[in-house]
Amino acid sequence: MALRLILGLLMTAVAFTVAGRRLFMLYRLGRAAQPADPGRTRGGAARLRAELTEVLGQRKLLAWTVPGVAHALAFWGFLVLALTIVEGYGALFQRDFHLPLIGTEPWLGFLEDLFVLATLVSVLIFAGIRVRHSPAREGRRSRFFGSHLDAAWLVLFMIFNVVWSLLLYRGAQINTGNFPFPGGAFASEAVARLIRPLGAGANDVIETAGLLLALGIVLLFLVLVVHSKHLHIFTAVGNVAFGRRPRALGALLPVYSAGRPVDFEDPGEDDTIGRASIEDFTWKGMLDFATCTECGRCQSQCPAWNTGKPLSPKTLIMGLRDHALAAAPYLLAGDKSRVDALATAAAQTPLVGVDGVVHPDVLWSCTTCGACVEQCPVDIEHVDHIVDMRRYQVLMESSFPPEAGVLLRNLEHAGDPWGRGAGARTEWTDGLDFPVRTLDGERLPDDVEYLFWVGCAGAFDDRAQRTTRAVAELLHTAGVSFAVLGGDETCTGDPARRIGHEVLFQQLAAQNVETLNNAGVRRIVATCAHCFNTLANEYPQLGGAYEVLHHTQLLSRLVADGRLVPVTPVDATITYHDPCYLGRHNRVFTPPRELLGSVPGARLTEPARTRETSFCCGAGGARMWMDETIGTRINETRTDELLAGRPDIVAAACPYCVDMLGDGVALRRQQDRVDEHVVVTDVAEVLLRSVREPAGPAAPLTANEPRKAQP
Amino acid sequence: MKIAVLIKYVPEATASWRFADDRALDRDGVEGRLSELDEYAVEQAIRLAEAGAATEISYLTMGPPRAVDALRKALAMGGDRAVHVVDDALHGTDAAGTAAVLAAALRRIEADLIICGMASTDAEMSVLPVMVAERLQLPAVVNAAVLKVADGSLTVERDTEDATEEVVAPLPALVSVTDRSGEARYPSFKGIVAAKRKPVTTWSLADLEIPADRVGAGGAATEVLAVRPSPPREAGTVITDEGDAAARLADFLAANKLL
Amino acid sequence: MSTVLVLVHHDDGVIRKSSLELLTLARRLGDPAAVVHGDAGDALAEALGRHGVTTVYAIAPPDPESYRPAVEALALAQLAARTAPVAVLITSGPSGTEVAARLAVRLDGGIITDAVQVRAEAGGPVATQSVFAGAWLVEGRVRRGTPVITVRPNAVTPEPAAEPVTPQVERVELAEPVPAAVPRVVARRAKAATGRPELTEATVVVAGGRGVGSAEGFALIERLADELGAAVGASRAATDLTWCPHELQIGQTGKTVAPQLYLAGGISGAIQHRAGMQGSRTIVAINKDPKAPIFQIADFGVVGDVHTVLPALIDEIAKRRG
Repeated sequence: MALRLILGLLMTAVAFTVAGRRLFMLYRLGRAAQPADPGRTRGGAARLRAELTEVLGQRKLLAWTVPGVAHALAFWGFLVLALTIVEGYGALFQRDFHLPLIGTEPWLGFLEDLFVLATLVSVLIFAGIRVRHSPAREGRRSRFFGSHLDAAWLVLFMIFNVVWSLLLYRGAQINTGNFPFPGGAFASEAVARLIRPLGAGANDVIETAGLLLALGIVLLFLVLVVHSKHLHIFTAVGNVAFGRRPRALGALLPVYSAGRPVDFEDPGEDDTIGRASIEDFTWKGMLDFATCTECGRCQSQCPAWNTGKPLSPKTLIMGLRDHALAAAPYLLAGDKSRVDALATAAAQTPLVGVDGVVHPDVLWSCTTCGACVEQCPVDIEHVDHIVDMRRYQVLMESSFPPEAGVLLRNLEHAGDPWGRGAGARTEWTDGLDFPVRTLDGERLPDDVEYLFWVGCAGAFDDRAQRTTRAVAELLHTAGVSFAVLGGDETCTGDPARRIGHEVLFQQLAAQNVETLNNAGVRRIVATCAHCFNTLANEYPQLGGAYEVLHHTQLLSRLVADGRLVPVTPVDATITYHDPCYLGRHNRVFTPPRELLGSVPGARLTEPARTRETSFCCGAGGARMWMDETIGTRINETRTDELLAGRPDIVAAACPYCVDMLGDGVALRRQQDRVDEHVVVTDVAEVLLRSVREPAGPAAPLTANEPRKAQP
Repeated sequence: MKIAVLIKYVPEATASWRFADDRALDRDGVEGRLSELDEYAVEQAIRLAEAGAATEISYLTMGPPRAVDALRKALAMGGDRAVHVVDDALHGTDAAGTAAVLAAALRRIEADLIICGMASTDAEMSVLPVMVAERLQLPAVVNAAVLKVADGSLTVERDTEDATEEVVAPLPALVSVTDRSGEARYPSFKGIVAAKRKPVTTWSLADLEIPADRVGAGGAATEVLAVRPSPPREAGTVITDEGDAAARLADFLAANKLL
Repeated sequence: MSTVLVLVHHDDGVIRKSSLELLTLARRLGDPAAVVHGDAGDALAEALGRHGVTTVYAIAPPDPESYRPAVEALALAQLAARTAPVAVLITSGPSGTEVAARLAVRLDGGIITDAVQVRAEAGGPVATQSVFAGAWLVEGRVRRGTPVITVRPNAVTPEPAAEPVTPQVERVELAEPVPAAVPRVVARRAKAATGRPELTEATVVVAGGRGVGSAEGFALIERLADELGAAVGASRAATDLTWCPHELQIGQTGKTVAPQLYLAGGISGAIQHRAGMQGSRTIVAINKDPKAPIFQIADFGVVGDVHTVLPALIDEIAKRRG
């Protein structure tokens, strides 16, 4: 008994020391990081709900059924196994130790054994998944590509060891009469039967050896966990607790330095703008890096990764974590001159650069579509980190893909990405058979229900103009009074913010907020998913709070209210593409489908990736204005996914998507890979065709001339 | 080597340009900017400084108070200081008067190399660089595509109507650069913040000892008699190609005796 | 009548078209006196006489290598002081502008650049300029000193004088030395002859832009130009993409052209491009984008693909010419 106790406590002391040192270092690293933006603790109810659903309920994991169930088994298995560890430590002191109150209930014994086996099942499933989807077999398609594979296998092996050693100990305990449960522990009993023939003496030894072995393996596992991606066992709880709620999508955060928003008019001397190096990340960033489980769900959905680009959200986060750990001795040292050369070299590696931690091609491949954030079971905020790194590159280094300079200059000098200027903003109204009210600096008249935010694409892009006109005509038909800002409208700033040019975003946004507030605007309808997102989610940061509707939401209401009646059948199979900034970022999934569903004759089909898992068209994150030279083109990949359902019409609800997919279909048509009649169009145009009387002129849907996205 | 860069504050290309009552370009209420073509001059100066060939870059502009924005923009790209010649009496000054004022200012700045854009994006005369050089008795090389400075002389590569030339001029000299000389950098926020702290000196006509009767509309050697919009072109025919466009286009050319 | 000094450029005695245009304008203002660089041969003098030139001033450069704009400016300043002309006319363009600018400073007078029209008035010649990418016309006059006016090529149709005259030829020695500090051309690589007309002087220009898609696509522009005996031009996009040499660029930072016919293939017509071709008599545009701004100024526009329309047009023209 004494040996058992001494050995047990000794092992524990060693493991706790090793693990403790590591945890203390990680804690210091987190403390050395920047303060996070305020609001990380606000909204307790939402945070509690997230803990209950995402951690206890395993909600995001279960979105993938097989691995989700396996993980849920392992997770719940470990919670229950924690009881057996307590029992084990108790048994160091007292061989027949049992938990107080319920410690001898057969149902607890049953439960413990059930989850011990569940854990074993999960290990087997995980192993199966890892074999089946191993990078060796699937290459880049594997979500484990780029993960630390050896460490993952080692962990699985260790869990397996925990399971068998525990069962061995418990079986011997039964045979020696020290087992706390009179019945119920079916698996332990089976093992007991197996080893009973060895005799009482042997079982006595096995009991002690098994206990020390089981505890030893658990302690070894603990040490392994704090040195590997399995740290998420502890950090995921905190990462979910302090994550952005409801999710790190929609709005981007303003630029914070030392936890305070940066005043770009009068920046402080010590303000850090964006992320120049690893120590510029906040503690929440560090927590994100520490929590990444390398599961690769993000990677499997990433449009950049799926089209052969170097960006994988997973390897990006892993790279940042590995770099933070490599540089940690330097970052945490008081006397930097005494730090070893490797750590010093790591700390001095540029964060972004050809020889940096993050290659520029990685940084600029992101479309900010949010598929990674949506997928991440532990709520890592990939997009925020990418934009923060871009912010430093653009604002401090003036370093970005050269072609994006045209975008920035046009935004600066003309107020729109096309460089057309205010004078051309109302050209789209030419030829409409009803007048469009233009405010031109006037206050919004009381009888006007909505301000129609046209957007730059809606005003200047050929295809998008057709959507703008269709929406205007539908609103007019429904008797909805609306007005436009005309030449006073400028870009909302979405591309500027997402490329990382926060200063330009602030300028454009402040100007628009002033215009909207001076005009007394309360309700806005926008056709562009990006404008919609910025107006609704980001302008409140600048004092612009409006009720913002996407046109599909407003039109769907008008159809529901009978103010628009689709009468003319549109005999077509229609595939709907969820724009990232409408769907994933803002959860508007139903209205566009309702609209299409209301059109007689229309047959709605869903592409393989849809709703939350919709695949980006390639235009987000200011990618619309950059060249796409690496890998295959995102828009072509998405076009093929959409065409797989053999639709007659590909409908989207964002001008950028319509443009990108329109180019994709046009290309496939040139290659004779899709039928001539297939068109890409906005949902509103389909509705307009149906709302118009059959006798009226059939509105031809947008044709598919390839268009250059560059301004 | 000290460099002076001549820059101009011009209306935005997308603004609606019109003439004021005095038949000068209406600059009030129109957004302005550093002339795009001058950005190339600024870029070349900064590149020379980065290469160690220049020790100081000064910017010089003559214009209304708002023209300081153009100087700040240039300073945000790089460079050290700026001079703004501003005086109410300057309104309506023509090219000759502007050249006289800039030359007087440049005499004080004492640069070894003066760099200008190939033209302003508003008046588009392209005469100012040479007029300034003539006043300062300096050699001028216009329309440089490639610019090098070494051993007290300036070497320029440029395209003329019928040849590509390499031209050498002794310093001090003046050079105007084209839009082929190298993409102008996009100023960083760091640069913009730094620019706020760089000195901008304001000089009046009195500072430059230029009599007011040589500048402004009154002192101009040219006068504008009338301005009018160009007669609108007669609305043309636009057809969509349905396979017959070439024939119809040939008909049009033949009917207008253009074949 | 009073003298009008005209800076005449010639190639081995053959007067350039743009100089003939200046002489045509000069006759409306007074007696044209031609200023030529180097010796004026008999043939040149006779040709000048046919265009109404009464006096030919042949500048004797102190050294054939002397920086030409400096020599021309000195000579013109000297002659202007002597003859008190009503105007000095010079062709617009980089070198003409340089001469005019230097001259205006020396004469302490006014300068008007890039005139599209010059007419005689009691108070002196009135020049018309086309500004803001051709959107506005400005009429102006020099009111101090000798008017120095540069004129845009193709602004007028060159015509010989009603009565040919026999000009006096006078050799002009520079009274003051060319300044020592002048630029020196140390290397010169003549552009390959294309056999096509000079871009700024051509009566027909065929120009290509981004829409031609590639260097191969640009060859269609060249084929059509050769079919029409036209000069080849390009938008900045096409020259930046190196589909054609830089000197073909038309627009704000390239050349200004005003031909009888301007045919734009795959050019959208951004304002910077329009600034260089708006003065063309007839504008034809082929572009895929019906919203392309070029259609706003086109006399005849085709919404279509240059890759199909141009080859068909080349065939059609060849067919009609038999």
